[in-house]
Amino acid sequence: MEWSASSGNSRYKPTLEDKDGSIHVSSMSRDGIEVPPPDVAISADSQEGRLLVEVDGNQMIAHVAREGDSWWVHIDGRAHVVNLHEQGSGGTSIDEGALTAPMPGTILDLMVKVGQRVREGQALMVLEAMKMEHRITSPKSGEITRLHYGKGERVDMGSVLAEIGD
Amino acid sequence: MAPEWMEGSPRPFSKVLVANRGEIAVRILRAARESGLVGVALYSDSDASSLHVEVADEAVRIDGETLEQTYLNGTAIIEAAKSCEADAIHPGYGFLSERADFAREVESSGILWIGPPAEAIETMGDKISARRLMIDSGVPVIPGEEVPVEDGADHLGNLAISAARVGYPLLLKASAGGGGKGMRAVSEPKSLRSEYEAAAREASAAFGDGTVYVERLLRNAKHVEIQVLCDNHGNAVHLNERDCSLQRRYQKVIEEAPSPAVSGSKREEMGKAAVTAAMSVGYVGAGTVEFLLATNGDFYFLEMNTRLQVEHPVTEMTTGVDLVQKQFEVAAGLGIGFEQDEVTQNGHSIEARIYAEDPSRGFLPSTGRISTWRQPSGPGIRVDSGVREGDEVTIDFDPMLAKLIVHAPNRGAAIRRMDAALSEFVALGVTTNIEFLRNALNHASFRDGSIDTDFLDNSAPGELDGDGYDEGMLVAIAAAAQRLGLGSARTGSGETVDEHTGHQGDPFRTLRRTFP
Repeated sequence: MEWSASSGNSRYKPTLEDKDGSIHVSSMSRDGIEVPPPDVAISADSQEGRLLVEVDGNQMIAHVAREGDSWWVHIDGRAHVVNLHEQGSGGTSIDEGALTAPMPGTILDLMVKVGQRVREGQALMVLEAMKMEHRITSPKSGEITRLHYGKGERVDMGSVLAEIGD
Repeated sequence: MAPEWMEGSPRPFSKVLVANRGEIAVRILRAARESGLVGVALYSDSDASSLHVEVADEAVRIDGETLEQTYLNGTAIIEAAKSCEADAIHPGYGFLSERADFAREVESSGILWIGPPAEAIETMGDKISARRLMIDSGVPVIPGEEVPVEDGADHLGNLAISAARVGYPLLLKASAGGGGKGMRAVSEPKSLRSEYEAAAREASAAFGDGTVYVERLLRNAKHVEIQVLCDNHGNAVHLNERDCSLQRRYQKVIEEAPSPAVSGSKREEMGKAAVTAAMSVGYVGAGTVEFLLATNGDFYFLEMNTRLQVEHPVTEMTTGVDLVQKQFEVAAGLGIGFEQDEVTQNGHSIEARIYAEDPSRGFLPSTGRISTWRQPSGPGIRVDSGVREGDEVTIDFDPMLAKLIVHAPNRGAAIRRMDAALSEFVALGVTTNIEFLRNALNHASFRDGSIDTDFLDNSAPGELDGDGYDEGMLVAIAAAAQRLGLGSARTGSGETVDEHTGHQGDPFRTLRRTFP
């Protein structure tokens, strides 16, 4: 089983072991390379959704919740998302050149055409959601090879909006 | 039956329908109950199990799917009020709160409108008529021009001429806009057309009107607003200022009272101007006069919000006045109950708006199920929430989930209390701006009170990002949680044992990945 933290693109593979009533990490790889495992002892709390996390002899409480393949972890005053990936689903989950809708909404305006060259950060289209307009910008420089939706069409979260070649 | 405190009032009422949803509906419904009134919630199908319905004494369903069919449907809302024999309507903020025609319709159906007179809403709601009135009343306004816009005509030419006279950078404001919608900054002539079109579209999408106003954009200014309270016996007081300078695209993020930029004499000066503004429009009830405070101490009228504000709690915390209770009293025809010189300023209060949005992805609204919701508590901490654990956050409504308000003896203590409270606010399942709020609060420019309204929009990318967290550690915690069989919160406890077979765990769990 592979994991990634929402903050980064690295894939982690931890090996867990039970020791003295708590869970330790005996080894861990990052993107296939062995890295020093975090020195942590984790045990269940009597309350569902809470874990006792001991780091360097310091006991902390983590709040955890699962939604689908994402684990939400609140620790040390901040919330994080850790994603679970099917084994062998490849390095990156989404096709590199595909731009997906960050949220459901309606395409208000398209500023580019197929075949047009765009710069990284250039506004490609305007998506309206929650009564606000959001500019969808190009994640990279390249040529627009496909546009999947037209003006006025509704899109779901994660729908591929555009494909950008090199 | 009207509550005891209303005895002898000219317009007693006993049952109030709250034509709103979310945290403000919860706030008002609780206030109604505390005042001995019967509070009625309004809800659409997607809100049937929402918090505001739960806290209400009664709830009325309103048929329809879109906002226009439900919370923006004045006729249906009045029908709903009649059907449950509510004798008053409180509009909250947003939705129909600043629709003069709705206020009129409510009054003409014999229901008490808990808000200002329709004429005041109308005059202040139109930025151009509001500006004219302020000039006539001697309240300072920002240099700018009115651009007559007629449907279908080519108004871009006129707009460009006015824009050139006013000077760049400028601000385009759709006359019917508000809350950051329908408002666009234009830094140079060549982007005038695209920004105008966006402003007009946003304004018509949100408010059903698409006209425009051009004004000079003041750089490095602070947003300082004055809370006013007026009764219908000709009395008006102000309840000091709120500083709402921490904004993103004209949407307030953190508000506080008092303003770090306002001295005692400035407060008095601005308070007087605000009271003048309110009196000039015949205002009744709680309202807010917004000003831009320039670096040289000059201030200019921005607009008057003819309703309760989102950030009203910071005023309540520092003055000790319950604004919703006062709205009830004034609506019943009672006096304000205190004089200007009795208004106090006690300590410092800060409000942070908790939004379901993702700061790392351009603040796009986020959706999902709130799997964990643990509000902070303690001395000087107040949470006005519209949601609770298990609620679904959809794109159908405004992404503001709750407001966290703190009160402390001084600004420094209030900032520390807010930071501690935010760190204890556990909201999982939906991405929120909580961490971003902490980072903004801890920024040196916020701490020393020097931020202006452009601060967030101008801050460098990454400047307000948090420190990275040890990813390996987070992965270890998640993997351990998975191994321990947590995360089945939807079905109750972690591991259930079947009484008959003795099997541990939900048999269907094996269909999902639950073992390492």
